[in-house]
Amino acid sequence: MNYPVWEVPKLGGAWVIGMISIFHVLIAWFAVGGGLYLPVAESKLYREKRESWLPVLMKHSRFFLVLTSVFGAVSGVGIWFAIGLVHPEATSTLIHNFVFGWAIEWVFFVVELAAAAVYYYTWNRIPRELHLKVGYLYAVSSFLTLVIINGILSFMLTPGRAWLKVAGTGAEASRFWWAFFNPTYFPSLIMRILACLSLAGIYALVTYSRTEVTDPQMRKHKVAMIRWSARWLLPMFLLMPLVLLWFLHQVPAENRGLLELGMNTIGSGAFTQVTRISMLTIITTITIAGVVYLFAYKWPNDLSPGHAAAILGLAVIATASTEYARETVRKPYVIGAHMYSNGVRKRDVDRMNQEGYLTHSIWTPPAASQVVAGNAVFRGECMSCHTVSGYRSIVRLLQGRNQKAIGQFLDTLHKPTRESPYVKYMPPLVGTQTEIDDLAAYLAKVSNAPPAPPAPVAPPVAAPGAAPAAAPGVAPLGAPLGAPLGAPQPAQPAPVLPAAPPQKPVALR
Amino acid sequence: MTTRTQEYLIERLGLADVIAVARKKTVPLHKHSFWYYWGGISLFCFLVQLVTGILLLLYYRPGPEAFESVRQITFETHFGWLIRSVHNWSANLFLLSVFIHMFSVFFMKAYRAPREFGWFTGLGLLGLGLVFGFSGYLLPMDELSYFATKVGLDMPSNIPIIGPPLANLIRGGLEVSEFTVQRFFTLHAVILPLLFLPLLGIHLWLVQKHGNASPPEEESKPIVERKSIPFFPNFLAKDLAMWLITLNVIALLAAMFPWQLGEPADPLSAAPVGIHPEWYFMSQFQTLKVMGRLFPGFAGEAIGMGLFTVGMVLWLLVPFYDIRALAAKRAKTATYFGIAVVGGLIIMTIWGYLAV
Repeated sequence: MNYPVWEVPKLGGAWVIGMISIFHVLIAWFAVGGGLYLPVAESKLYREKRESWLPVLMKHSRFFLVLTSVFGAVSGVGIWFAIGLVHPEATSTLIHNFVFGWAIEWVFFVVELAAAAVYYYTWNRIPRELHLKVGYLYAVSSFLTLVIINGILSFMLTPGRAWLKVAGTGAEASRFWWAFFNPTYFPSLIMRILACLSLAGIYALVTYSRTEVTDPQMRKHKVAMIRWSARWLLPMFLLMPLVLLWFLHQVPAENRGLLELGMNTIGSGAFTQVTRISMLTIITTITIAGVVYLFAYKWPNDLSPGHAAAILGLAVIATASTEYARETVRKPYVIGAHMYSNGVRKRDVDRMNQEGYLTHSIWTPPAASQVVAGNAVFRGECMSCHTVSGYRSIVRLLQGRNQKAIGQFLDTLHKPTRESPYVKYMPPLVGTQTEIDDLAAYLAKVSNAPPAPPAPVAPPVAAPGAAPAAAPGVAPLGAPLGAPLGAPQPAQPAPVLPAAPPQKPVALR
Repeated sequence: MTTRTQEYLIERLGLADVIAVARKKTVPLHKHSFWYYWGGISLFCFLVQLVTGILLLLYYRPGPEAFESVRQITFETHFGWLIRSVHNWSANLFLLSVFIHMFSVFFMKAYRAPREFGWFTGLGLLGLGLVFGFSGYLLPMDELSYFATKVGLDMPSNIPIIGPPLANLIRGGLEVSEFTVQRFFTLHAVILPLLFLPLLGIHLWLVQKHGNASPPEEESKPIVERKSIPFFPNFLAKDLAMWLITLNVIALLAAMFPWQLGEPADPLSAAPVGIHPEWYFMSQFQTLKVMGRLFPGFAGEAIGMGLFTVGMVLWLLVPFYDIRALAAKRAKTATYFGIAVVGGLIIMTIWGYLAV
């Protein structure tokens, strides 16, 4: 590692990125969809002689301006700040490849910000046609920021063969366009556009639900505009399944395997976290369809701010789960087939196994003891996904196993077989045998393991309700690492690891 | 559905009268209308439990095989984990929504005439819901459910004279055993539904008959200033949307936090450290613990139980003493009593969890 490690206790760095990203995406997608909504709605009001509704649209554009240009811009910078701290290696790779992409995005972003401000401040001050042109300028520039950023985000999942051929040679930027228009570029772009349009409709419902009207003419306008805004969600419901299938078709087989693994084990309840989250996206999207129909489309007169807030809340769940699934399906990589989620490049694995992981970690001070060295390996190789005792707690997963048992498990991560379930979502553990022993010593210390028992032998048959299934020869370690905390654990083949000492839970459930 | 089919069903089933009643009924529209949804959400959670409960009945075997059958449901039966998780989560959401419904009714003073019996039947349903929770909790017969039930049944056995025989009757012996599971199962799957369903029917009928109560400040407005929407189809559609959201929340909880199954119950092993009841019994549990510390021996428990009894009687009888105008002293006292109860429950529950 060429960078120091940023430790976020309990929460983990990934969740810092996750929380900022979810907040940002909710606003950024609105900035794109809402950017189109405003001039199209304005044009509709002129065309249908509904000018008396224009003040409401003006109010909506103020809300839009404040939300996107203040909170959107700040959280967007926040993401880059956070990923720079949590994943410096990956961020460095992105910057080296896409620096001109970002420069272009910034141009569009500046135009977008300026156009948003001009659009709001020139209501009733410039001719209608010119005002509409400013609106469409905003819509185009904000759409183009999406076009650019989508290339960079989809690259992280599928960099494409052309780029991977030159990865690590110093000539990566020469494959800019191949990397940019990567295999998942277009399905990702269309999915994002559909989400942007939906959010534009939902945010408009929030504004309209807060608009009290008594005049019968205004009430007619309100009904028409609520119904029209609800229709902005239609493309999402009609096209999303098809685009999702297209996206999955473009995703590499090994990443798709993670989802398939989850689908195959859904009946037994041991399915992976990414599948659980993906199911949540689908369920919540269907719920949004039903709720928007009942709350807004069918009886628009009764739409209250509370109803609109409920729809927005569901949109938060759908967006958060989609973003989470998109991030997780990339595992075990942070940049597909090039860099693992802990920042180790695929091509460096053999070298680090021979020369040592810490040898190449320039920010690691000389280790005073085995445990200190193990802690350094843990911080570098494990902490991008695990915390000691918080999210994906290593203490909980180890279940008090001793150093020898932990060492055996680490060996399976160090030399993974193709059949290993962990290979689907965990990077290989790199380093010399000494470093792996150091890591085992550190993990045994933090998990309060008892002294190593003499040569443990696994029982031939698993006890009822024992730990989860694993391929023969693979040591299961608590719940599947892709599964959520407390996932159900089916009966399974005999574990290789010695059983954990009995645990006494403190809560009844 | 085609118009001809609709007409056929309306005529044959006599639905015209029902629709007329539903159309006539209106739901008040004001800044507190949100609270009207909670009765419907409670009903939906109950229906989910009914359906998932029937599905669990297909595989659950009370008695000595209780744990093994729940293990099979959770780990071997396809989607058994989902049905069990949905059943448990909807049970918790049911009690939560009933509590919210009860307190919203209390603070809107919707127990006043002519809705006293709506209040009584509602409290009856909450009481039965709590017994549902307690009896269902033992059925998996894992370590935690065993010890929780054991601790729970130790309380009545401390009552002088009648306590021990009463506890033995509930347990089916001196200890919690397979006979207790059989009894609790009968209670959970036969007796309680037989009591709950008719009471629920009466409660719903009373709601239909008297309609939703407005808060007193809303009722003090002139009729022309009050707003309302028809129950059918407007409010019903919103109720359905809320049901959809509730189902989504249950699906989220079941998928992300599936219900766990512990080790099989072993009467000879030590009780788990820091054992405590479910959240809906936590405030009572903590109060008894505190009373036990303040007044050692049976006195503490007796004072605690006495406090609960007095509190519950006062709570139940509120429609009889809070009958005056909103500005009257008694009406204000009733509101303060409600605030004290809510505050007390929340504080004691948090304290209970912190003390574990």
